[in-house]
Amino acid sequence: MRTAPSGEALPLPPRSVSAPGRALPVRAAIAATTAAAIAAGLAAAAWHLTGEPGGTRLALSLVFGALFGFVLQRSRFCFYCQWRDFLVAGDPRGMLGILAALAAGAAGYAVVLGAWMPDPSGTRLPPDAHIGPVGPALALAGLAFGAGMAVSGSCISAHLYRLGEGSPTAPFALVGTGLGFVLGFVSWNPLYLASLSEAPVPWLPRLLGYGPSLALSLALLAALAWPLLRRLPAPEAPGRRDPLHAVFVARWPVWLGGLAVGALGTLAYLRVGPLGVTAEIGGRSRQAAGALGLLPDRLEGLDTFRGCATAVRDALLTPNGLFVGGLVLAALAAALVAGHFRPALPTRGQVVRGLTGGVLLGWGAMTGLGCSVGTLLSGIMAGAVSGWVFGATMFAGAAATLWLGRRTGLLS
Amino acid sequence: MLRKSVFLLTITAGVLAPTGLFAAPDPAAKPLKEKAAEPKAVQDSPLVSTEWLEKNLDAKTLRIVEVSVEPGVFERGHIPGAQNVVWHTDLVETVSRDIAGPEKFTALARRLGLDRDTTVVLYGDNNNWFAAWGAWVLAQYGLVDNVKLLDGGRKKWEAEKRPLDTRNAEVAPSTFTAQAPSGKLRARFADVLAVAKRERDEQILDIRSPDEFSGKVIAPAGIQELAIRAGHIPGSVNIPWAKAVNPDGTLKSKEELKALYAAAGIDGTKPIITSCRIGERSSHSWFVLNRVLGYDARNYDGSWTEYGNAVGVPVVNLAGTVWGGR
Repeated sequence: MRTAPSGEALPLPPRSVSAPGRALPVRAAIAATTAAAIAAGLAAAAWHLTGEPGGTRLALSLVFGALFGFVLQRSRFCFYCQWRDFLVAGDPRGMLGILAALAAGAAGYAVVLGAWMPDPSGTRLPPDAHIGPVGPALALAGLAFGAGMAVSGSCISAHLYRLGEGSPTAPFALVGTGLGFVLGFVSWNPLYLASLSEAPVPWLPRLLGYGPSLALSLALLAALAWPLLRRLPAPEAPGRRDPLHAVFVARWPVWLGGLAVGALGTLAYLRVGPLGVTAEIGGRSRQAAGALGLLPDRLEGLDTFRGCATAVRDALLTPNGLFVGGLVLAALAAALVAGHFRPALPTRGQVVRGLTGGVLLGWGAMTGLGCSVGTLLSGIMAGAVSGWVFGATMFAGAAATLWLGRRTGLLS
Repeated sequence: MLRKSVFLLTITAGVLAPTGLFAAPDPAAKPLKEKAAEPKAVQDSPLVSTEWLEKNLDAKTLRIVEVSVEPGVFERGHIPGAQNVVWHTDLVETVSRDIAGPEKFTALARRLGLDRDTTVVLYGDNNNWFAAWGAWVLAQYGLVDNVKLLDGGRKKWEAEKRPLDTRNAEVAPSTFTAQAPSGKLRARFADVLAVAKRERDEQILDIRSPDEFSGKVIAPAGIQELAIRAGHIPGSVNIPWAKAVNPDGTLKSKEELKALYAAAGIDGTKPIITSCRIGERSSHSWFVLNRVLGYDARNYDGSWTEYGNAVGVPVVNLAGTVWGGR
């Protein structure tokens, strides 16, 4: 059996999801028409929402989600695949793209934060920014999340955009994520009392001021980029390309996607809230688990923390729900046009790995108060130490699991 | 003849207004036509309209302060020149349950540039709930007549598509020094208990939802139940705060408000105590009764989270909710 990331060598990976013999056919003309219809539908939905009272925020969430999904799909902005490309194939370009996203976002956030909270030295944190508690629980969450990425083949945001590509693993990984969230809620109270309630919530600008904190973040990113830059492959011969082909069909270089993610992160924070993809999944899981009586009566202190809030939803449409919906639909449209939409029937291995990896992803995202997007990206951009800790442990967990998996022959 | 004098008056006002000689809320600075549309002189009214505020944004003695519940609302766009107050931390003591003490309030007022000769316009999200609560805190420190609420609050300002700004206002600090807060606008537990036991002839206005009042629920949906018993204080009447508000968020007219409260027996002849769950929504009704209608009204900020937890006090529980026992 071929496994999710095995075939995904740059630049245009054959899709692991279309295991031979199980792929379902997709016609190009129908695909393009469907993509156009999805784009028009998203635009119409956004237009309709802006007309509703208080709908501007919802409409913006939908648009930002769609743009995020488009960028993720076009540039294959996937934390695990890029990490694996580096570890296994020695290709550092994807990881450099992730660093580019963090650098662009950190600069953008510094501009916004400086305007919103001229004096960062007080006891207050900037509104909504994903700055979380740092302690053993966060490290554990990062490790679990990393392991979940390695087992299921990608992180939650990548599973979402791959859902749009027709991946047979993604639906099971997302179901697993929901289950993992429920496990996270169940284990929350002991973790909170043992570690989280007294964990510090360090924020670099409070400790250093905005300028030095941005300089430190950029210096750290540069230090991480340095060894990667030295392993860059020889540049490809520049070929003349049709611009439309370059935007809609060919894979974007990951650094380009990274810069777009950095810009989107800043703009979304300015207008709606930090990027994050798990608030809706977590909130709905909490609602469902609560209805089934699986939750503890009280989740101590959970709703007082920053991050991908899982507060129970009282509305049908929420900003994060629309963000995730826009992400998946736009990724589907982008995949249809690019010829990356290759639905396939799942194999038993894909089901099992999706579910088990998903549970790890969900538990990690619940305990870490966000995933590779909400805690890592939006955290590091905001100058949160929690983002760095989650990032380091997440990549470590993924590397260790991949190593172990390859040793035992369970992962490729 | 009349037209000429109107013309001259308008010119004079137009020349004087930018000099700052006219304190911001001067109705003379407006053409007579508008005056007819907005009969209340701003000095006398505790409310200002969105239209008036937009015209007077640059007035030097005006301080605009947003008190919203939702974090990030102010930062993503506020009325130009407005400053932010976070009610959770700025207006209260964060360890003990109390309004901000004199020292803390002095620092806040100075930072915001508030003083007795400045006009302060408060506004916020959620129908000005917390802006009204801010007005109640300010009033206890003697900032009463110069403090106004923006009629309709954020909701109306946004609905009318008036401009928002994301930059921070730079305001000269004031030299205001707070004395000990006046207790005249605040009802304490003992006051309420005396009314409940009919030892004192006052009226309690409970502005919670009918289901909270009857005891069907202890707190509104989605809000933590912070009381051990359900129901209401004996002798209180229930008029939910929202009844005082038009659909666009503005307060109803004085006549409508008088009629609304009179129907429940509250006509200003007896002292009134407003109460809710934690004392914030009830400041909205306190503002209406005290500042708009001029009734003798105090706010009970202990509200149901204090009374509903007290041992041995009389409670009316219409719904017959029984605590505990499953």
